[in-house]
Amino acid sequence: MKLSARYNRVNLVTTVIVMLFTGIIYYQAISWILTNQKDKDLKVEEQEVFDYVALNHRLPQIFESDDQQITFYNARPGSIQREFIDTKFYKILDKNDVQRKQGKTHAAEYESGRALISSVAVGNKYYKIQIIVSKVETEYLIRIIFMITIGVILFLVLILLITNRLILNRLWQPFYNIMKELRLFSLTDANDIAKVDTNIDEFRELNQAVLTMAEKAKHDYKDLKIFTENASHELLTPIAVINSKLDTLIQTENFSAQQSKLLNDLYSAVSRLNRLNQSLLLLVKIENRLLHEQQRINLHDLVEEMIVQFGEIFQDKDLKVTYSLANKEIYASRYLAEILLSNLFSNAIRHNNKGGEIAIDLTEESLTIKNTGDAMPLNGEEIFTRFHKSSHSEGSGLGLTISRQICENFNFSLNYTFQNGYHTFIVEF
Amino acid sequence: MKILIIEDEEGLRESIEEYFSEAGNICETASSYQSAMAKINLYSYDCILLDITLPGGNGINILKKLKEKNHPDGVLIISAKNSLDDRLDGLNLGADDYLVKPFHLSELKARVSAIIRRKTFNGSNLLLFNEIAIDLLAKEVKVHSIPVKLTRKEYALLIYFIANKGKVVSKNAIAEHLWGDGIDMANNFDFIYSHIKNIRKKLMEAGCKDYIHAAYGMGYKFNEH
Repeated sequence: MKLSARYNRVNLVTTVIVMLFTGIIYYQAISWILTNQKDKDLKVEEQEVFDYVALNHRLPQIFESDDQQITFYNARPGSIQREFIDTKFYKILDKNDVQRKQGKTHAAEYESGRALISSVAVGNKYYKIQIIVSKVETEYLIRIIFMITIGVILFLVLILLITNRLILNRLWQPFYNIMKELRLFSLTDANDIAKVDTNIDEFRELNQAVLTMAEKAKHDYKDLKIFTENASHELLTPIAVINSKLDTLIQTENFSAQQSKLLNDLYSAVSRLNRLNQSLLLLVKIENRLLHEQQRINLHDLVEEMIVQFGEIFQDKDLKVTYSLANKEIYASRYLAEILLSNLFSNAIRHNNKGGEIAIDLTEESLTIKNTGDAMPLNGEEIFTRFHKSSHSEGSGLGLTISRQICENFNFSLNYTFQNGYHTFIVEF
Repeated sequence: MKILIIEDEEGLRESIEEYFSEAGNICETASSYQSAMAKINLYSYDCILLDITLPGGNGINILKKLKEKNHPDGVLIISAKNSLDDRLDGLNLGADDYLVKPFHLSELKARVSAIIRRKTFNGSNLLLFNEIAIDLLAKEVKVHSIPVKLTRKEYALLIYFIANKGKVVSKNAIAEHLWGDGIDMANNFDFIYSHIKNIRKKLMEAGCKDYIHAAYGMGYKFNEH
C-alpha cells in the first residue's frame, strides 16, 4: 500500500467522522435554538390569552390560522400541568396545496408541531389551553442546513482527494527520484548518485544520507579492489622467486623418480598459483575498466587463430572440432577478446570427454561454443560466480567470471544453456 | 656475453645470475638504482636485465639515461606490472623486450639470447649450432645443408632449446613459451612430448645428432655436444 493511499484513507475517514460529528452537534444546536424560538412564540401566545382573559373575563375567540391552533378544553381545576410537548399539527390544506401534492386524497395532513399545554381560569371555570404551532418551517430549515453540511462534506472530501493526489504525488517526487537513483546505483559503475533538488528537509536529509552511504560504499569497494591489486602484485615477486629457484634446482640433475615427481607437483602448483594471481589481477583491471584501448577486431580471423593455437590440444584429447564462421567484426580490446576466446576454448576442452566434440558457430548476432562432456546440465548462474568449479577441475575457478566480466565490459551477454547433451556458451553481441 | 642484472629481489637476482653464468658469460649484478647507475656509467654490456621497481629510483629512468647517452646495450625490462601502458612505455623508450614476472629462467634466457643475437650479428640472420644452421629471417632450418621442414611450433621450440642449451627446461616453461600464459592445461603435457618426438625424428633423419634428452620426467635438456 502506498503511503499516500494510506494517508488519504486515514485522512478521509477522520474528515468524514469529524464532519458527521459536527453535523450532529450543529443539528442539535440549531433544532434546540429553533424549538426555543417556537416555545417563546407559544409563551407570547399564552400571555395574550391570559391578558385577554384578565381584561375581558372570557375566553378569546379562536381564529383559523395556517400555522397556529388554539384549543380550549374544559378541565378539572388543578389537573393541568404547564408543559411544552412535541406533537402533531393538523394542517388543513387549501386548494393550492392539494393540487400541489397530488396523490393525496385527504384535504388535510399532519405535520410535526410544538405545543404548549397551559391552563386558565375564567371566573370559576377552569380551562385547558392547548396552543400548537407547526414546526414544518423549522424542520425545513434544519433539512436545508443538513443538506448544506452533507454537500460541504462531499465537496471537502472531493477536494481533499484531488489535492492529495496532486500535491502528495508532487511532494513525494524527490523521494521517488532518490529511489530511482538507488535502484540504478552500482558499485562498479563510475557514475555517482545524482543530487536530488528539493527543499523538503526530510528528503534533503534522505538524499544526503544516501549520497554519503553510496560514497562510503564506493570508497570501501575501491579500497578492497586496491587491496586485491596490491596483494596480487606483492605475490608476484615471491612466485617469481619460487619459479626461478625451481628452474635452478632442476639444473642440478641426478634426481630420483620420487624427487622428480615432487618437483613436477611443485611446478604445477606454482603455475596454478601464478595463474590464479594473474586472473585476480585481470579481474580487478577489467572491473576498473583499465583495459579500454579498443580497436576493430575481425572475430572470424581471431577465432581461426585460436583454433590453430589450440590445435595440438584438440588432437591430444581426440576432440572433433567443427566450425562455421561468419565475417563478424567487433569493436573491442584485442587483449580482452583473446582472453575471452581462450577461456571459452579452454573450458570446452577441459570439461570435454576424450574423443568428444566441440562446435563453434560465429554469426552476425552471436558466438556459440558447444561441447560434449558430463551428461548433467550445470547450474546456469552458479558457474559464473567466483571460484565456482567442478571438483576435478584444475582451473582457477575464475575463467568464466572473467569471461562474463569481459562480455559486460563490451556490452555483450554471456549465457550458458544445456541443449541435446551439449554444454553451450553463447556470447550475444 | 656480458650481462648486467638489475634486480632488487635477492632470491631472483641470484637465480638469474646462476642460470646465466656459464663459460663465456660475464654476469654482474646491481640491487639498487644508484649501484645500477654507477655500473652503466662505467661499463658497457651486451644486455641489461632491468627491473622497473627499484629502491632509490625508477628503472625507467635508467633506461632513459642509457638511451640519452646512446649506449648500445640491449635492455630487457622485467616488471611485475602487466599493463599494456607500461609495456608500451618501456618499448617506446627503446627497451628491446618486456618480460612480466613471474617468468621461467629458460624464457628469460631465450629472450636475452634473441636480443644479443640481434645486437651482435648485425645483419646476419644465421644462427649456427654445430651441424644445425637456422636462417632466422626465412625461418629455415638446415642440417649439414639439408633443409629440414619444421612446423611453426617445432621451429620455435628448436630456437628455444638452442638458447637454453645445456640446461634442463621444464615442461611448464615449454608449454608457456609455445602457447602463452592463456593456456592452463598444466596436467596435460602429452602434446609437448609429441612435438619433441617430431623434432628429434626430423633432425635425426637429416643426419643430426640426438641432442634432446628427457630429464627425469620434469623436462628436456638440449645437450651441447
